[in-house]
Amino acid sequence: MKIKYISALLVLLAAAKVNAQQEMMLNSLQNLWHSNTSTNPAFFPENKHFVIGLPAYSIDAAHSGDLTYKDIFRKDGDRTIVDFDNAISKLDPENDLNFDQRLETVSFGFRSPNNKWGFQLGHAIAFSGALTYPKALPELLWNGNASYIGQTVEIGLQADIADWHEWSVGVMRQFGPLNVGVRAKYLTGISALRTDDDRHSMSIYTDPDIYQLTLKTDYAFYSSSIISAIDTADLGFDITLDALGNKLRSKNNGIAFDLGGVLKVGERLTLDASVINLGGLIKWKNDPRYFQSKAEYTYSGSTIPGEDILNGSDSLDFDTKLDTLNDIFRFSQTATDAMETRAPMRIYVGGTFELTKHWSVGLTVFHQKKDRDSNTAVGASVRWLPLKWLSLGAMYGVNNRSAANLGFHVAFTPGPVQVYFLSDNLLNAFALKSSPAANLRAGLALAF
Amino acid sequence: MQRKPILRLLLPILVMASMWSACNKSDFDQLDLADHNAEFAFPLFNTTLGLDDLLFKVLNDTLSGDTLFINPDNTMTLYYTGDVAEKPASDIFQTFPSGPAPIPDTLYQYPFNSPDGVTIRDALFKTGMINLVIFNNTGQNLTGTFTVEQIKKNGQKLTIPLNVPNNPVFPYSSPIFDLTGWRAESENNELTFRYELYTPDGVRVKIPEVSPGISGVLVVFQNLTLSYLEGYWGYSSYPLTRDTIEIDINQTDLDGGITIVNPKVTMLIANSWGFPTRGYIKYLSFIGQNGEEIPLITSAFNNDSTIDFNYPHYPNEIGQTKYTEVTLDENNSNIASIFNSQPTRLIYEVEGISNAEHDPTVIGFLTDTSSIKLGVRVELLLEGTAKNFGAEQEMDLNFGEYSDLDTSKIQSVEFKLVTENSTPISADMQIVFLNEAGQAVDSLFTDGAKVIMQSAPITNGVASGTTREENFIQMSATRFDRIRQTKKAVLKTSFTTAQGGTVPVKLLATNKAIVKMGIKVKTRY
Repeated sequence: MKIKYISALLVLLAAAKVNAQQEMMLNSLQNLWHSNTSTNPAFFPENKHFVIGLPAYSIDAAHSGDLTYKDIFRKDGDRTIVDFDNAISKLDPENDLNFDQRLETVSFGFRSPNNKWGFQLGHAIAFSGALTYPKALPELLWNGNASYIGQTVEIGLQADIADWHEWSVGVMRQFGPLNVGVRAKYLTGISALRTDDDRHSMSIYTDPDIYQLTLKTDYAFYSSSIISAIDTADLGFDITLDALGNKLRSKNNGIAFDLGGVLKVGERLTLDASVINLGGLIKWKNDPRYFQSKAEYTYSGSTIPGEDILNGSDSLDFDTKLDTLNDIFRFSQTATDAMETRAPMRIYVGGTFELTKHWSVGLTVFHQKKDRDSNTAVGASVRWLPLKWLSLGAMYGVNNRSAANLGFHVAFTPGPVQVYFLSDNLLNAFALKSSPAANLRAGLALAF
Repeated sequence: MQRKPILRLLLPILVMASMWSACNKSDFDQLDLADHNAEFAFPLFNTTLGLDDLLFKVLNDTLSGDTLFINPDNTMTLYYTGDVAEKPASDIFQTFPSGPAPIPDTLYQYPFNSPDGVTIRDALFKTGMINLVIFNNTGQNLTGTFTVEQIKKNGQKLTIPLNVPNNPVFPYSSPIFDLTGWRAESENNELTFRYELYTPDGVRVKIPEVSPGISGVLVVFQNLTLSYLEGYWGYSSYPLTRDTIEIDINQTDLDGGITIVNPKVTMLIANSWGFPTRGYIKYLSFIGQNGEEIPLITSAFNNDSTIDFNYPHYPNEIGQTKYTEVTLDENNSNIASIFNSQPTRLIYEVEGISNAEHDPTVIGFLTDTSSIKLGVRVELLLEGTAKNFGAEQEMDLNFGEYSDLDTSKIQSVEFKLVTENSTPISADMQIVFLNEAGQAVDSLFTDGAKVIMQSAPITNGVASGTTREENFIQMSATRFDRIRQTKKAVLKTSFTTAQGGTVPVKLLATNKAIVKMGIKVKTRY
């Protein structure tokens, strides 16, 4: 019983904790160093020649529908109550959870005194994931199967999760008003889990006769450095995880490229465009495994010989053998050399127009392509520079999920210091518990 | 104006502070699940009761001779069979015993053994050897022959050449003569032995006695077996069998009544003896429930309670087996009324009589494989009626994992009992749960209710189709908790055939009843 609640909790907890991030706001702040490392390799802080990028963290996540943290958790004195009743009611028949997280550990930037050449080195840890799960899964676990009698319930979830290191080297070149940059990234995979697109079916059927249970699976997933074994011999899933590690080097290698350009058109207008993670592909060589389960089993209860009942020669045994039922999910694993994951490719196209010395406006178009989905957003921003070292701004954005995203940023740049906090969705940022999405970024850099 | 830069500075600080406050609390230190109800449904058990399996068990089938035969039309016939009595030919074939026989004179009529009233006129040796032992104390060497007039092969009578040296100390033994394939033909149960011995001078001599009364010539038969015997069989009687057949169907612990349509007793004789034999039914009675004797009276036998067994006739049916079957049923006996009182056993005794008519012209035969076998069986076609034919069976119970459930989390349970009956029998059932001391703790159905499994539709006395019924049994968590701890239960069942047990129905081997149960458990957390 405990297992099922933990499973349900994990699914919805994950949905509530991660938020949404498009980084359109960062792309509009070309003067911040991390806009170079994250959105456009042609960006470089104005009038700076040497930059040290200190840690920056960003998260971009969203759950489909209106599910929020508060829908799952509520306070009762000092206790936090997990209540799936309300959460389940807000789920769609099929639910998506997307999340991207990026931790930029350190980076360095150099620009020649004449601004013609620029160079960049950096390291970051990226995490990208997508989950698709049916409403029936948490509903079945929370409310039981009685409400599904006579129905075949599909409970298989799909996942595409990976994290990796990025080691980057970039160069930029200025051609008059045009600044172009290119960055090569060496990717070393940390861990990944990806369900087979063609095999993600798990279903359970409760027969109206005497509630015989038929479980059917055709489910498979790839895993590297996450799961090493799944034992379904007893009731539940005993998942053996690989030793947690975050080695900087591994056999899971790949390459990606970032391309970007910035064009100054006149004194006030600046246009920019970039492609991030172009061709980003990691081939997983560090003990990749292919787990699969293909079975069909109907549990009809204990079969008692009729003559025993009449003869009284044996006991009437109601032992359920539910562990047998669970065991039909028995996963087998094989080594595979076909495991690949793609880093999500992002495209930014934008422009800023400087109205006055203190005010400017901008427009950013963002598109992200993952293996299983893509999303596009457009944001119009306004920036206010009340002080030389202070930047405040807002952005109105429209994306696949919502047409009502109000972003903001605040950045301090006293001397060489760059400290900032920004979000593409102001409401999410300040009300994480009541939003189905979140988008945050914060970072620190020194620019000389 | 001085305050404006300060406000500008405070603004981001406030923003950062509010963000922090939104994120820094740990909500998961004390995490509890909300109270809620869930309902789980899963199957408990299923069982299939085949009438054939059921009958095998319920009839307390411990006698190896009992057979439940499934007829081509899927009706079932229950056979109770007694031991098969056999009278083999070997009982007769001791006519020529092995061993030495004296020949007191040069011509001697040797009488061989034969059953009383039997005259052997032809016997074919299957195996056997013969030779002579001679004590020659005549003082001379002797030569000659030994002949048996009645033992011939290919028209030649048995002749053994003799060369007997004079030896008053050690007897002479002639070469061994193989009798295989030789035939002995006699009209008077005698063989004629003749020996002729001559001295070198051509004088025929008679071997003197070794001592007074002890012949100096012996004929020795060894390993004699016959493959065929022919002759006249006179009147003779001998016991064939006495046996008891248990009628288990009326010996169960089940209550109520059951009526069998047209029960039968069959006597089957397989006879390969080649002469007339009559069976004499010395005793044939059923024993009732209270031990009382109920004679089986029938017109199927001769007036003197005998049956003439069919037999293979000489000379054209040698080696054949003839069968005699006598059936006692409701048309020629009182068996139907006997079975209404549910007898528990049948006792019978049969004697055999050869040439009961004392016919002196009857010529018969035996081969070494001839025998008379006699068997009696009670034959019950399972067609009848039953009314409240029931029993109580005590069973051990094992609720397995359900015994360990935390019932404080259970709000209620609902059992779903489904019956699918394709038999012509209705049944009602109740389960009483017992504690360790054997005391009733609870029952599946309360207030006197029972689950009733209606019979399948009946067409021409045969079940046609299936009757499905669903019963839902609500149970509180308290009752469920009480019941799941029990280790024993008494299953009370009773069966009634169609229309209240008034119309005979046929029980088919394909008739089955399925009983299965599922459960819904409503939990609270």
